[in-house]
Amino acid sequence: MDAFDTLGRIITLTLFAATLRMATPVLFATLGGIFSAHSGVFNVGLEGLLDLGAFFAVVGSVALGSPWAGLALAVVSCLIASLMFAVIHLELKAHEIIVGLALNLFAYGLTNYLLVAILKATGFYKSPLIIGFQPVNIPLIERIPIVRELLSGHSPLVYLGFLGVALAYVGLFKTPWGFHLRAVGENVEAAEAVGINTRLMKYVGMLLSGALCGFGGAFLSLAYLNMFSENMTAGRGWLALAAVNFGEGRPLKSLVACLIFGFADALAIRLQQFGLPSQLVLMLPYVATLVVLILSAIQRSRKAEKVLESPPPATKLVEV
Amino acid sequence: MSSKVHLKGLLIGVVMQAANYALILIMALVVGAAVILVSGKNPVDAYIALFRGALGSPIKIADTLDRSSVLILTGLAAAVAFRTSVWNLGLEGQLYAGAFASAWVGFSIHGLPSPIHITLCLLAGTLVGGLWGLPAILLKLRWDVNEVVSTLMLNYIAILFTAYLVAFPFRSPTAFMPGTETLDATARLPRLMIPGSVLNIGFLIALALAFLIFWFLYRTKLGYELRMVGFNPQFAGYAGMPVRRSSFLAMIFSGALAGLGGAVVITGFFGRFISSFSVGYGWDGMVISLLAQNHPLGVIPAAIFYAALANGALAMQSATGVPQALVVTVKGTIMFFVTVQFFIAFLNRRLRQWMPSTP
Repeated sequence: MDAFDTLGRIITLTLFAATLRMATPVLFATLGGIFSAHSGVFNVGLEGLLDLGAFFAVVGSVALGSPWAGLALAVVSCLIASLMFAVIHLELKAHEIIVGLALNLFAYGLTNYLLVAILKATGFYKSPLIIGFQPVNIPLIERIPIVRELLSGHSPLVYLGFLGVALAYVGLFKTPWGFHLRAVGENVEAAEAVGINTRLMKYVGMLLSGALCGFGGAFLSLAYLNMFSENMTAGRGWLALAAVNFGEGRPLKSLVACLIFGFADALAIRLQQFGLPSQLVLMLPYVATLVVLILSAIQRSRKAEKVLESPPPATKLVEV
Repeated sequence: MSSKVHLKGLLIGVVMQAANYALILIMALVVGAAVILVSGKNPVDAYIALFRGALGSPIKIADTLDRSSVLILTGLAAAVAFRTSVWNLGLEGQLYAGAFASAWVGFSIHGLPSPIHITLCLLAGTLVGGLWGLPAILLKLRWDVNEVVSTLMLNYIAILFTAYLVAFPFRSPTAFMPGTETLDATARLPRLMIPGSVLNIGFLIALALAFLIFWFLYRTKLGYELRMVGFNPQFAGYAGMPVRRSSFLAMIFSGALAGLGGAVVITGFFGRFISSFSVGYGWDGMVISLLAQNHPLGVIPAAIFYAALANGALAMQSATGVPQALVVTVKGTIMFFVTVQFFIAFLNRRLRQWMPSTP
């Protein structure tokens, strides 16, 4: 019973609450990736956008004394960066993967440079001047014992993230706008032929991608930790890319992948407290991503084989 | 007559390329200057300090060349993969895996003659680097797993796993930071005869490989297949070329070159494996390859340019107080502009207007 005892001490309600928290930044970036994937752009720049968001959220919060101002500045800076991405990719016809990588590099360089130049700090910036988001207690749920510990007392951005999944679902699959956006990603020529402004749709997809990464970045630096540090995104933009891939463009399915990463992240932190080498447990989210990626690919290739056997159904796969 | 036209065309090509790179450089320096101005420093002073730090004396030039060795190798690694349209973004991980393997051979085997010991170290790095690319390409070929994400995940896994290895099982009690034992003297790459500089034969190895890869890609059937597959996989498939084999080889060669890069920097420069020793050598390799338009010989000047930026950045920071992170911003800007074939198209139109006789 020793093993169960240990398991019981590791897997607690706090762990699941932490899972929701750790899933949030990936979730925002994933939603962003979903929008750009539907408009037909493989957004490799999510990681850099998160980084920019996290940095400018801190700058906004310090300068204006409010986490919401920080969030606003994060969103604006990510919008500018993704507009840059969009112009270079759509107008100057540069390859999307390369522009995305350039954006990551640019964001990493710029944030580290400004960290020294504006905030006068090297490596990380931590200060009481950073006003972070306060946890929100939800009135009704607060009174229910177990659910309370799981769902209440998170940062408002956590709730916004989960609300975002619902909004993305409705927007993409229940509105004419979403139909148009998806049409662009599926077949540009056909969409063009029926009179959809495909270029505008691509811009919208990429800008939404940027804005959502602004939320994700702000969560990292103003809610999860009240600080900014180099590499604080720790590959979450890449995890998001895997989640987009897993969900095949469906927000709810991608949410499952995000929760898996969130759990792996939360578990890694928990296991560290039990004295396991941090380097090994920190590998967990990346290994989990690989597993998720492989599972989704196997599932997709099965589906493709079925399609070959039977007449083509009307379902579609998002090319990611 | 026809050779004259041909010559003119060639001349236009060279002028265009030169102008293209000059424009990219100027744009990047302008963006950099704007960023320096924001922080209230003088961009001209900063750039002078950067230049002096990179190329200001024979020793500085030699040190810049030394730094370029690993960058040439990771640049070649990227070029082989990108030429074949295999998006190997796992160079950093392959570099770490190769570096650790070569360090292990370097400190755990004793009493070998130096040339043999060095060869074994470099081979170990090459082999393990290639192996680290294996899972990603097998997954791609079997289940069509996107290699962009899988190679990236393998980066994190390699960096964290080697960090674990040097923090626990292989930690040297004498090391100041988590790292392995120092390599035996027989495993260290011999220095080239430049007093005061760390330049070693690693640079010559990198140069030789650039020519070897050039020969492979442009003068052999296998290399031709790789390039055709990269150019247009469908067409290459219809023409009966082994598309899957080419992708497989490109990934393995790419990983092997990155692993060799790790081996060269460990045996030539550090002399032991230190956790997080790489300051983005693998990432730089990708940008270098793109800057060189994925051409193996173009990788050489591009890598030296990048090495100069990196070495100059340190000098700039200590002389003028402009943070060296500026250089990363400049690098990102360069990458943005390199990808834009805008300049080439623009210059092309202009030059054709000036020289109407060329077709």
